[in-house]
Amino acid sequence: MSPASSSRLPEQDGEVIDRSSKVRFTWNGKNHSGFKGDTIASALAANGVKVFSRSMKYHRPRGLLTADFLDPNGFVQVDDDPNVRSGHRLVEPGMNVSAQNAWPSLNRDIKAANGLAKRFLSAGFYYKTFMKPQKLWPYYEKVLATFAPGGKVDLDTPHGYHDKRYAHPDVVVAGGGPAGMQSAISAAETGASVILVEHDHQLGGHLRWGNSDDLAALADLRSKVAGFENIEVLTNSTVTGRYEDNWVAIVQRNHPLAVERLIKARAKSLVVAAGLVERPYVFAGNDKPGVMLSGAARRLINMYGVKPGERAVVFTANADGDALVDDLTRVGIEVAAVVDARSGGNIVEAKGGPKSVTAVVLGDGSTVKADLLLTATGWTAPTSLLNMTGDRPAYDAATARFFPVAPPDNVLVTGGIAGDGSLDVMLEHAAETGRLAAGRAATMAHQFQSMTARAADMQGETPAFPNDDRTALPRDEHPALFRSTTHGIVDYSEDVSSKDLISAAKEGYDSVELIKRYTTATMGPAQGKLETVNTVAVLAEHRGETIAEVGTTVWRPPFAPITLGALGGRIFEPERVSSIHGWHEQHGMVPILAGQWIRPEHYGDAAAEVRNVRNNVGIIDVTPLGKLDLQGPDVPKLLNHLYTNKWSKLAVGSVRYGMMCAEDGVVLDDGVTGHLGDDHYLMTTTSSGAGTIWEWAENWLQTEHPDWQVHVTPVTTAYVSINVAGPSSRELVGRLCDDVDLDPETFKYMQVRQGTVAGVADCIMWRIGFTGELSYEIHVPAGHGLHVWETLMDTGKDLGIGAFGLEAQRIMRLEKGHFIVGQDTDGLTKAPTVQMDMLLKTDKEDFAGKAELVWSMDPGVRASLPVLVGLQTTDPAVVPEEACQIVVPGTNEILGRVTSSRMSPTLSRSICLGQVHPSVAAPGTKVTIQLVDGNRVTAMVMEHHAHFDHEGERLRG
Amino acid sequence: MADLTFESPITKSYPAGSGDLTLSDISHTAKVLVRADVDSPAAQTLAVGFGSLRTEGETIVSGSRPDEWMILGTAEGVASIAGSLDTNGHVSVIDWTHGRAMFRLTGQAASSVLEKVCSLDFSDNMTPDGAVVSASVAKVSCDLARNDVSGSPSYLVLCDRSFGQYIFDTIVDAGTEFTISANA
Repeated sequence: MSPASSSRLPEQDGEVIDRSSKVRFTWNGKNHSGFKGDTIASALAANGVKVFSRSMKYHRPRGLLTADFLDPNGFVQVDDDPNVRSGHRLVEPGMNVSAQNAWPSLNRDIKAANGLAKRFLSAGFYYKTFMKPQKLWPYYEKVLATFAPGGKVDLDTPHGYHDKRYAHPDVVVAGGGPAGMQSAISAAETGASVILVEHDHQLGGHLRWGNSDDLAALADLRSKVAGFENIEVLTNSTVTGRYEDNWVAIVQRNHPLAVERLIKARAKSLVVAAGLVERPYVFAGNDKPGVMLSGAARRLINMYGVKPGERAVVFTANADGDALVDDLTRVGIEVAAVVDARSGGNIVEAKGGPKSVTAVVLGDGSTVKADLLLTATGWTAPTSLLNMTGDRPAYDAATARFFPVAPPDNVLVTGGIAGDGSLDVMLEHAAETGRLAAGRAATMAHQFQSMTARAADMQGETPAFPNDDRTALPRDEHPALFRSTTHGIVDYSEDVSSKDLISAAKEGYDSVELIKRYTTATMGPAQGKLETVNTVAVLAEHRGETIAEVGTTVWRPPFAPITLGALGGRIFEPERVSSIHGWHEQHGMVPILAGQWIRPEHYGDAAAEVRNVRNNVGIIDVTPLGKLDLQGPDVPKLLNHLYTNKWSKLAVGSVRYGMMCAEDGVVLDDGVTGHLGDDHYLMTTTSSGAGTIWEWAENWLQTEHPDWQVHVTPVTTAYVSINVAGPSSRELVGRLCDDVDLDPETFKYMQVRQGTVAGVADCIMWRIGFTGELSYEIHVPAGHGLHVWETLMDTGKDLGIGAFGLEAQRIMRLEKGHFIVGQDTDGLTKAPTVQMDMLLKTDKEDFAGKAELVWSMDPGVRASLPVLVGLQTTDPAVVPEEACQIVVPGTNEILGRVTSSRMSPTLSRSICLGQVHPSVAAPGTKVTIQLVDGNRVTAMVMEHHAHFDHEGERLRG
Repeated sequence: MADLTFESPITKSYPAGSGDLTLSDISHTAKVLVRADVDSPAAQTLAVGFGSLRTEGETIVSGSRPDEWMILGTAEGVASIAGSLDTNGHVSVIDWTHGRAMFRLTGQAASSVLEKVCSLDFSDNMTPDGAVVSASVAKVSCDLARNDVSGSPSYLVLCDRSFGQYIFDTIVDAGTEFTISANA
C-alpha cells in the first residue's frame, strides 16, 4: 500500500492532472499511485518521496531540483528502460520504477562510503590514481566501472518501432511557450506552413504554472493555435539540431504509432523561442533534498497539486521568486523567511541530514529552520541552437545572462532568449518575429520554385527579402548571482563542486575548454543548461576575469540527448530479388546475400549440384548479371575505349569476352558483349559491377566524348537470365526453342541469337560458359522469366535437370580456371597479373588505362607484379581457406595469397587460384601455404588456371 | 504460342483495407524508354519537357531526364506513340515493360506517405500535378510522377523491377498510419 498522499494539494486552477483517473505503479518495489498527467516525479513527490537518487560519485542522496525535463537528480529506471527523466516521463499503469546507481537500496547505499574518500576522488582523480602498477589495470577497470552512473540495459529488450519523416515547412518554431505560440500564430496568419515544437507535454511554457492572468493568456493562445490547420503542433518533441541551410532535426515523442519519430525538416525559417532555464545557486549543502529552484516548486504546486514541503526559506532576486512566495502562501506552506538578493541578502548553507534540509544559514549568520529552500537567482539562455548556426552569444553583465549576437538571416530569435518585458511586450515581439519568419520564407519558397524544372509556374517577381525591423526587447537588470561565500555543487549530474573547479584551474586546466574536459562539468545529461554559466563564473572568479573574458564552450547537436533508436529510425535495407525468387524459396534454397541481391547459394548439396551439371544438365538463375543495352553508330568506339581488347570487327551474332581497366591500369571488370544487330549491342558485366560500369560508360560519354552517338541503358532486371549448362543443355533448349538453329556448326561457342523460348518471344541466347560446360545463357523478358524457368524444369526431367546455386557455379568456374574480378583480383591488381595477354591490345588508339597498361607490361615492371596461378595442394584433402598467405618456407616472408579455394567434386581434390610473386610462378614450383590454424602445407603451381578440361572441349562442343 | 501472363514483381498478397489511400501494383503497364537529343524530331513529337508529363488519352508521356522520355500506358497506346516517332538520327527506343516495377499511390495522404520514404518537397508548389522527378525512395533510385486522378493526389512510382517488392512493402509500411489499402 502506498503511504498516505499527504503531499497532494486540493485542485489547482492550472493543474494538468486528471484526478478522476488514478494510476498505480511501483517505486523500488513498493506500491504507489498518482493521477493521469502526473510525471513520475510529481506522483512520487505527492506520495511524500523526498530522495529520488544518489549522486554519481559520492552517492549523496538527492531530491528534486527542477522537477522537469532537465532535473539532474531525477533519473530512474522504468522497467527495462534506463535513465528515464522522472521530471518529464508521465506515469502509466503498471510501471515499475526504481532508483539507479544505489546498492543495495536507495535508502541504504553502501557506495555512500565514497564520501569518506572524497579527497582522493576529486575531479579528474582517474588521471592521477589507478595508474600504477600497470598490471593491475584490469582490476582498476572494474573499480572505475562502479563509478559509472546510469541504469541497467536489458539486451533482450524488444526493439521499439521508430520512424522517420521528411518535412519542408515554411517555418519551424522551436519552443512552445507564449513567444513560440504567438510566432507560430502570426506566421500561420500569413498562410505559411508552421511546425511548432515543444519538448514538454503541453504548450505554454511558464504560463502553465503562472497566476490567473497567465492561465487566461495561455488558454487564449492555445485556442488560437488550434484554430490554424497550417500549424502542426508537436508536443513532447525536441528540436535537437540545426544544420546547414536550416536542416532541422526534430525528435517527436508523441506519435501514436512510433516510440519516436525523427523528422528531418528543411525549414525556410527557424524561430528559436526556447525560453530561459532557471539557474541554480552554488552554496554549501545545495544538493540536499529539499533544495530546489523556484520554478520546480511552482510547477509542483500549480501543475501537479503537490506540496513540496512544509516550511520554506525563499532566496529571491527577481519577480518569479516573488510570485513563488504568493504560491507558497496560497497553498498553506509556511514561508519562514524571504531573503532578497536585490537588497543584499544571501544564503550560505543548507544544513540538515543526508535525506533532507532542516535549516538554512543566511548571509547575516542567522539560521532558519526549514525543510524547503527555494532559490530564484537568475536565468541561463539555452542558446544551443544558435551556437549551431555559428553564432557566439555574448554575455551581458547587467542582466547576468547571454544573448544572441548575429544568427543567420533564416534564424530568428524571440522570447526570453531575446530579452525581457511584460507578456504583452513579449507577445508583440513574437508576433513581429512570426510575420518576419513567414515573409522571409515566402521569398525563399519563390526562389526554390524557380530552381526546378518541375515546380509550378510562378506568379510574379520574387518578393524582396524582408528586413528585420523588429523593435528590440528591453533587457531587465538582474543581480549576478552564481556562487555564495561557500562552496557547493556546480554540476549535479557529474558531482563536480566549485572546489573541484578551482582545484582543476590551479592544476593548470584553467581555460573553459580544459576545465570542462578535465572535470566533466557541463558534460552531463543537462548538457550545460544548468551548469555552464556557474562553471564559467567560478573560473572567472578564480582567474580574476569577467565571464565575458573567460567565454564558454560551444554547444553542438543534439540540443537534448537523443536515443540511437531515433537516429536509426526506419531502417531502409533494400533487397533485390529476381522473378524466380519465390521458386527458389519453395525449393529449399539456402540464401546468400550478394550485394543487395538475395540469391540461392545452394539447394542443399552444392557438390551434388556440380556433379549433376557435369553429367546431365542444370539451370542457374543469373539475373543479377549486369546487362547494358548499347545503341548507336559509335558503340564500337565505346567498346574499344572501355575494354583492353579490340571490338571494331565483331560481327552481328558474335560475342566477345573483354576485360576493363581503370585509368590506373587496375582490373575494373570483365564480361562478354554481343553484337545483336545494326548499331545494337548487349554488354554484360559482373553482378557487383553493373552499376559501376554503367556510370563508368556514362562518365566517358558525357565528359570526354559527348560527340559519340551512343545510348547506354541498364537492362539488368529487364531480363531474367538463366544459364542452362551441362552435356544435355542443347537437347533441353532445343525442346523449347523452334526458331533458333542450335546446330553446333551454326550456333557456335561465343555467338548470340535472338528467338522464342517456351513461347516467349524476344529472348536473347548466348553460347558462353562460365561453368566450363556446354551451356546457353538465356535472357528472358522478366515478366515471363518464371514461366520459362518452370518450363525448363518440367521439360528437362528425363534429362536429370536440377537447379544449381552460386556455390556450385563457383566451384565449376574454379575447376575451369575462370577468375572472378574482385575475388581473384583486388584494388591493386594490374591487368598483366591475370595472365590474359591476348586481351591486352596496346596497339589500339588510346583507351581507358592504356598508359598504365603499357607501363605495367614493360618486362622490368612486370617482373615485380604478382602472377595469378592455379594451385593444387600436395594433400588433396586439404582445402586452404581463401586469403591464406603463401610464404617463404621457414619464414614469415609473404610471397602471395590464395584467392579462391574449393574442394572439387569433379576431381575429388582441392583446387585453388592464387596470386604469387613471379619468382615462384613457374609451373611445377612448390609453394608453402600458411593455414588459418597456423599449420603450413605445400602446394604446386599448375601449368594452367584450369584444373579441368583446359582445352575447353566440353565448352565448345 | 504459350498463353503467357505477365508476372508481376509483387508476389505477396495484402489484406483489404478501407479509406481513400491506395497503393496499386500496375507493373504490367507497358513502358517504353526513348533516348534522343532534345532538338530532334522525336523530341518534338513527344512534346514534353524535362520534369513534366502530358497525357494522350490513357497514355502518359513523361520527360524523365533531359534527353530521356518514358511512354506509359496500354500496349496499344504506347506502341502508337512510339511507332510515330521519327527515329532518324540517334534515337533509341527500348521496351522497359519488364524492367521496371510500377505502382500508383492515390489519396489525400499520398504525399504524407511519400514524405516518410523520400526527402523531396511534395508541396503543390514544388511538385504539382504533372511534375516528374527522379529521387531516392527508401534508398532506391526511383522515378516519380504526379498524375492526379479525379481530383485526388496521385503519384506513379517506378523502380528497377528487382526492388519492386521491397519498394511496395516499404510504401505499405509507411502508409500504415494512414490506413493504406494495398492492391497487388
